[in-house]
Amino acid sequence: MRKKGRGMATIMFGFGYGEGFPDHSIAEIEITTDQKIKLRTAGADVGQGFLTTMIQIAAEVLKIDSSYIEIVGQDTHQAKNSGSTSATRQTFFSGNAVREAAEEVMGMIYHHGSIYFNSNHPELTVKDGEIYACDNKEEKISYWELAEIVKQKGDNLQAEASFFPKTYVPDEKTGQSEKNYVAYTFMTQVIDIEVDTDTGIIEVMNVYTALDVGKAINPQNVHGQIEGGTVQGLGMALMEEQVIKNGITINPDMTNYLVPSIQDIPEFESTLIENEDSDGPFGAKGIGEPTLIAACPAVANAVYDAIGVRITSLPITPEIILNSLEENNN
Amino acid sequence: MSKRYVGKDMLKVDAESKVTGRAQYPSDLKFDNCLHVKIKRATYPHAILKDLDINRAKNIDGVVDIITAKDYPNLNKFGLIIKDQDVLIKMGEKMKFMGDALAIIIAETEEIALKARDKIGVEIKKLEVITDPLRAIEKDAPPIHEDLSGLCTDYLKPNLNQKNILVDHYLKKGDVKKGFTEADLIVENEYRTQHIDQLPLQNESGYALYDDKKDEIKIWAASQWLHDTQADVAQSINMSKEKIRIIQTAIGGAFGKKEDVSVHIHLALAALHTQRPVKLEYTREESMIAQSKRHPLIIKAKTGVSSNGYLTAWSVEVIGDTGAYASSGPAVVHKGMYHCTGPYNVENIEGTSYAIYTNNTYGGAMRGFGTTQMAFAYESQMDILAHKLNIDPAQFRYQNAYITGSVTPNGQKLGKSVNTKRTIESVIDLAKWEGEINK
Amino acid sequence: MKITLTVNGEKREVEVKPQTRLLDLLREDLGLTGTKEGCGKGECGACTVIMNNKLVASCLVLAVQADQSEILTIEGLNCQDELHPIQNAFINKGAVQCGFCIPGMIMSSKQLLDENINPTEAEIKRGLSGNICRCTGYVKIIDAVKEAAHKMRSRGEDDV
Ligand code: FES
Ligand code: FES
Repeated sequence: MRKKGRGMATIMFGFGYGEGFPDHSIAEIEITTDQKIKLRTAGADVGQGFLTTMIQIAAEVLKIDSSYIEIVGQDTHQAKNSGSTSATRQTFFSGNAVREAAEEVMGMIYHHGSIYFNSNHPELTVKDGEIYACDNKEEKISYWELAEIVKQKGDNLQAEASFFPKTYVPDEKTGQSEKNYVAYTFMTQVIDIEVDTDTGIIEVMNVYTALDVGKAINPQNVHGQIEGGTVQGLGMALMEEQVIKNGITINPDMTNYLVPSIQDIPEFESTLIENEDSDGPFGAKGIGEPTLIAACPAVANAVYDAIGVRITSLPITPEIILNSLEENNN
Repeated sequence: MSKRYVGKDMLKVDAESKVTGRAQYPSDLKFDNCLHVKIKRATYPHAILKDLDINRAKNIDGVVDIITAKDYPNLNKFGLIIKDQDVLIKMGEKMKFMGDALAIIIAETEEIALKARDKIGVEIKKLEVITDPLRAIEKDAPPIHEDLSGLCTDYLKPNLNQKNILVDHYLKKGDVKKGFTEADLIVENEYRTQHIDQLPLQNESGYALYDDKKDEIKIWAASQWLHDTQADVAQSINMSKEKIRIIQTAIGGAFGKKEDVSVHIHLALAALHTQRPVKLEYTREESMIAQSKRHPLIIKAKTGVSSNGYLTAWSVEVIGDTGAYASSGPAVVHKGMYHCTGPYNVENIEGTSYAIYTNNTYGGAMRGFGTTQMAFAYESQMDILAHKLNIDPAQFRYQNAYITGSVTPNGQKLGKSVNTKRTIESVIDLAKWEGEINK
Repeated sequence: MKITLTVNGEKREVEVKPQTRLLDLLREDLGLTGTKEGCGKGECGACTVIMNNKLVASCLVLAVQADQSEILTIEGLNCQDELHPIQNAFINKGAVQCGFCIPGMIMSSKQLLDENINPTEAEIKRGLSGNICRCTGYVKIIDAVKEAAHKMRSRGEDDV
């Protein structure tokens, strides 16, 4: 018999290394004379879209088409430390560093632009990679021309920024810390399942997600994280386990260590909550890890809803379901 | 003001290279005159290395050399937070899990390297294999790391085996005794989670090259943190950081698994040793056995609540199996504990966490970093309590949820961006949750 | 021994060893590194290519078995500068994360759409069930295949 169940989970995640760790990201932006904007970061794009996000932030601040922006420095000898792509930190940390570096460069554009046009800063218009004074579009110069002028003066339209927020080491005895993590992300999920009480197999039908993202710099990629993260969470909830017996892994392959396939995935419906209220770039928060976290408890709670048994160990395999159903009957 | 780029679905800048097959992942690079590296690994999870016979392997045609600890006696241990991992196990010392490296085989082809690997003779003295963290903390359990101690605090309970406890952490807020006295209902459960492989679709792999003019080693391999990997490689082989250059390639997935050093140090040594380009690629099996796992946690959670559904006290004990090495373990296990109440107001909290050495594959970073395991515990507790109190689980969560000004278990007052309640409100709309929320 | 095969429309003659896998032949001998290896055991689908109009896991096919065959890899999908509609759809729908599964996914999608230009969601899932993706949760991959099918139908041809 197939029994339906629905479970909810609300989670939070303190992101960044926090705990007083000297966590920081450095980024650099340079407008070149050959029509390129170089965005220098050593941050790793593991597929989530980090580099794309950085380009979006830089393009927004620099008011220029994103196609001019080129990533450089994916190399220890070409860029300074960007910190790790982990702890859900890059959008917040490198994003802020990129935003600050871009704002610095914008300041230089105004500075040198106002000298060129013999105007004050408020009279300048900076738009689409061009600068002009007093709405006089006839006499405009491009960023690249300005870069050339600045170069003649022996300077560069280039700036580096480091984002280095402070957190505090928790007290050894009590774990108390005035600021333990830079910020927190919240998420609630409702997961619908169907349990086959004859086979013990659980099918995940629907996942509803509300994610507190602050600001989605790239909504499509945020949804990509929700879907990818949740499916990894479902794998943990239902099937994944590296079995290590007496120190020896007995399933070191993808036949015996199962991860979700395309046949295992549910329907998704998600809402992004965008209060733009965090200290991240444009109010954004990190979401990479949070997207995975609610799946296990939401599934376990749905199992209880469906068949009235409470599972306290993972993964919730068909055998576990059948055994606990039997225990319940006795 | 509306924005042009932020908030827009800009297409990924690297997507075209990935759909055409042009993106270069570590194993897609090509070097002329390249040698192939394979690693001979431990033959038992906990044993003393008595003898390593490489002669037969070395004599195979096409084997360039085999590096053992004897060849580089001054290598330093490496590791993300605590340097406790051997580059190569020395004679007379211990292998501590099946991923430990005994020898680096360098050959003209991968096939020859594999053949040579299987010809290496290993003599060991077996020791008790500790696979259960609860066994590891018993007083009579043999220490896995003899040379490592002193990381435990003064607060560690005296009946526990210090030697196998990597770190212990504590949490104390309010008065947990009073909180449980005030509770009308107390629920106590033990939760257990499993070893998980992050399973990025690409296994660990890379190339290295020694540039003798610059006296610099170049490494092409994925890392979630270039400069940290660089520093760890440099210190382990006693070179200056500036002489180790790591170049990022496209990364075939990570999820925490590519935070630890994998191929990097062995490649650096092989490149230095042979002065030729070298390649090392793990198999899936090797990746699963030798690289980090999500920590299995045993979580004992006790939660007190008043009859009208407000949390009064919460206590947890967390036992984390960090396996043979520390990796991210010292941070993972207590980060889990710090999230023990989820996003709910609880005045009285107590927690203890231990990261414990065993002979299992070591635990490291994986998406969620201890808080994934903990969420299974706290959100199960919340659900159990809601049902026992006969309150709608959504309502129960809602009325305990953090708001601006709430204080976390660490005592951090949340000043802004606390949107817990909105996530609950939104999701019950989206899912057409039965029952309404009392705001 | 020497084998002859057609790869992405080009006749190739390659000297191979008996144990060489088709995957190695493609990646090492022909330099076509778009085809990936995720397991080497036929479990993940990263190495999927089309051989004689059928999907194969190139890690399980010996090079000698590919003698006289016709092979299509990811590199053969786009003609000159124009991307195949499937490739475009994967980009547009945000179906690409780390990208390591993507060449295999796209080859399976191509085979599916060659056989059935109007697949249901269940048919898409069946068609791609041999390809593991650890990053995306597959949702956007399914969207991409649907979009590609739609585009290819409205063009009325799929031999791009
Ligand atoms: S590499 Fe061939 S199926 Fe995985
Ligand atoms: S995009 Fe990473 S495995 Fe599919």
